[in-house]
Amino acid sequence: MIEIAVSKRLHTAEGPMDLLFNGIIGKGEFITLFGPSGAGKTTLLRMVAGLTLPDAGAIVVNGQAWFDSTRRINLSPRQRSIGMVFQDYALFPNLTVAENIGIALPKEKRSTIVSELLEVAGLQELAGRKPDKLSGGQRQRVALARALALKPAILLLDEPLSALDLQMRLKLQDELLYLHQRYQPTTLLVSHDLSEVFRLSRRVFVLDRGEVTRSGSPTEVFSQSKISNKFRFNGEVVHIKPSGVVYIVHVLVGQDVVQVIASEQERASLTVGKRVLIASKAFNPLIMTLEE
Amino acid sequence: MNNILGTITAIDTDGNLSLVDITVSEDIRMSALIVETPEHCPWLKAGKKAKVLFKETEVSIARNLSGQISLRNRFMATITRIRSEGMLAEITLASAEHEVVSIITSRSAQRMELKTGDQVEWLVKANEVSLTGN
Repeated sequence: MIEIAVSKRLHTAEGPMDLLFNGIIGKGEFITLFGPSGAGKTTLLRMVAGLTLPDAGAIVVNGQAWFDSTRRINLSPRQRSIGMVFQDYALFPNLTVAENIGIALPKEKRSTIVSELLEVAGLQELAGRKPDKLSGGQRQRVALARALALKPAILLLDEPLSALDLQMRLKLQDELLYLHQRYQPTTLLVSHDLSEVFRLSRRVFVLDRGEVTRSGSPTEVFSQSKISNKFRFNGEVVHIKPSGVVYIVHVLVGQDVVQVIASEQERASLTVGKRVLIASKAFNPLIMTLEE
Repeated sequence: MNNILGTITAIDTDGNLSLVDITVSEDIRMSALIVETPEHCPWLKAGKKAKVLFKETEVSIARNLSGQISLRNRFMATITRIRSEGMLAEITLASAEHEVVSIITSRSAQRMELKTGDQVEWLVKANEVSLTGN
């Protein structure tokens, strides 16, 4: 369990802003920090990592104080059990994929852990390559594997997928989910991509101007529709195809792509990447058992 | 999506289902069959405003309709625009002061010889009508 209660005055272009965060995060939880840039998300992540000093408060991880302003405790980043992945890959250019993943590991465990991670992250084929011979998606996969190598108590992800195209992003989201399930690190993800929040996290904190304005499950926080329909889903538009006077809109719902017919007028507000609510009447869906 | 603002005038509830009457204008009183009850839904009360939502593709069009029909959501309208392309045709209607859009097959539109200015009836089943609190 992670208990975070910190404050820090930040000096922004629009003047001073007080960053305040109070939250308890369960072991193995996947949390997102969502909000516009300049809201304080990255600063909060850096405070957990020990890279930015809070003005006051405490960060307690599994009973151990990483930071406590009243007790003058402040562990260095190296003393904190964290793994980090940022938007820019930050791999060592002169080291191979395998060496990058194993860099922080003690020699005796290195080969076992690295080969496991190479396998789990699907990087075996690339083990001997240097980062400049990798695609953006592959580099982020290496960065993720490296972040997990030390089995950190907390995984800190700062928009790790935002530089990737949609298809690669979706693929890496799946892999991230899989890795999270397998290793279950408590994960804090900074994102301003709503669909990412829905796909990856069970709980979201919305930050605005340094304050948590809303928190809860993504559906609670973002779906404030008062629509009566009981058959409804949140999804993301992945493709729009014109077909005569209507459009066929492909919507990614969970792991499945469903298709919805949209009129010209509905189409006007839709673009690929947009989060949407799709709803039907509970009377419409056919229901049938699956072959077992 | 057709989206018309109205006022809830009556609610008949049976178990988890409610048959809701909404007055949209003097001539248009619509019914919606929904899986919701006033007990669980704060805006589902007589006198409250609600938006009536229904898909264009659920709106049927009739001319000189006679005989009995189970639908109660049937209203007179004038065709203001027809856009036909390939298999489907989009028929825009003026019904009282509201605009309602229907998407039917081009084949049906041709068979009925629909054209701008025609007087028709539009119909939608109550179980195809969604409501949302305003």
